[in-house]
Amino acid sequence: MLSAQERAQVAQVWDLIAGHEAAFGAELLLRLFTVYPSTKTYFPHLGSCADKAQLLSHGRRMLEAVGVAVQHLDNLRAALRPLADLHAQVLRVDPSNFPLLIQCFQVVLASHLQDEFTVEMQAAWDKFLTGVAVVLTEKYR
Amino acid sequence: MVHFTAEEKAAVISLWARVNVELVGGEVLGRLLVVYPWTQRFFDNFGNLSSESAIMGNPKVKAHGKKVLTSFGNAIKHMDDLKDTFAELSELHCDKLHVDPENFKLLGNMILIVLATHFSKEFTPQTQAAWQKLTTAVANALAHKYH
Repeated sequence: MLSAQERAQVAQVWDLIAGHEAAFGAELLLRLFTVYPSTKTYFPHLGSCADKAQLLSHGRRMLEAVGVAVQHLDNLRAALRPLADLHAQVLRVDPSNFPLLIQCFQVVLASHLQDEFTVEMQAAWDKFLTGVAVVLTEKYR
Repeated sequence: MVHFTAEEKAAVISLWARVNVELVGGEVLGRLLVVYPWTQRFFDNFGNLSSESAIMGNPKVKAHGKKVLTSFGNAIKHMDDLKDTFAELSELHCDKLHVDPENFKLLGNMILIVLATHFSKEFTPQTQAAWQKLTTAVANALAHKYH
């Protein structure tokens, strides 16, 4: 699915995120909830206004899962199987929400990397994250 | 009619004042054509779109990107009246250009990403939300006359 060059782009961007999963994840969630308030319906346990600690904690978990995906580009299905099961059986997040999360992810990357967020990086990450979303929703029915 | 709060209008207008329309317009359209290559279907007569560098450097892409973003500038002057403002353009995109309105959403999202690269931390979640509301409203206005 991803070419060798695209994999290199994905790895290059991940190098900048690794170690900062909590901060990136928290910003991702904050943007998601601010720009697309309907997504908060999937996080009732976070209350009407999630606090910083909750965002950091959940954000870190989400970004760590992205990190797992980055390490297993050759076999996303196997690596993400538990998460795919979780989304299919428990979370059941409507698939239309994944593009919203991906858009916010791109905005986070863009605002942090600025000029370094080249069009090639954006294309590779968009393709990669879309692939992850496909795997996570594949078992829905 | 979409209602924009005073804060939302301020967030949009203040950022817009600092946007280089020519530069950003070219970048937005270029990125759209690279990241979502199927959008190239509307630009068969644009010449060389064979690689990322060809697309980003293509003068027709830059010129058209500027045109599209300039139109966005008009939207910002008429945030309370987008459907009427874009009525003619909506008919054009439906009847002559045959553009699937889904593409308006893709372009809108691309505008936000490029703005984020330029304005970095200033492109706060609230600013992003205001701009997202605008691009969604413009996309809907452009789709309004479809039949």
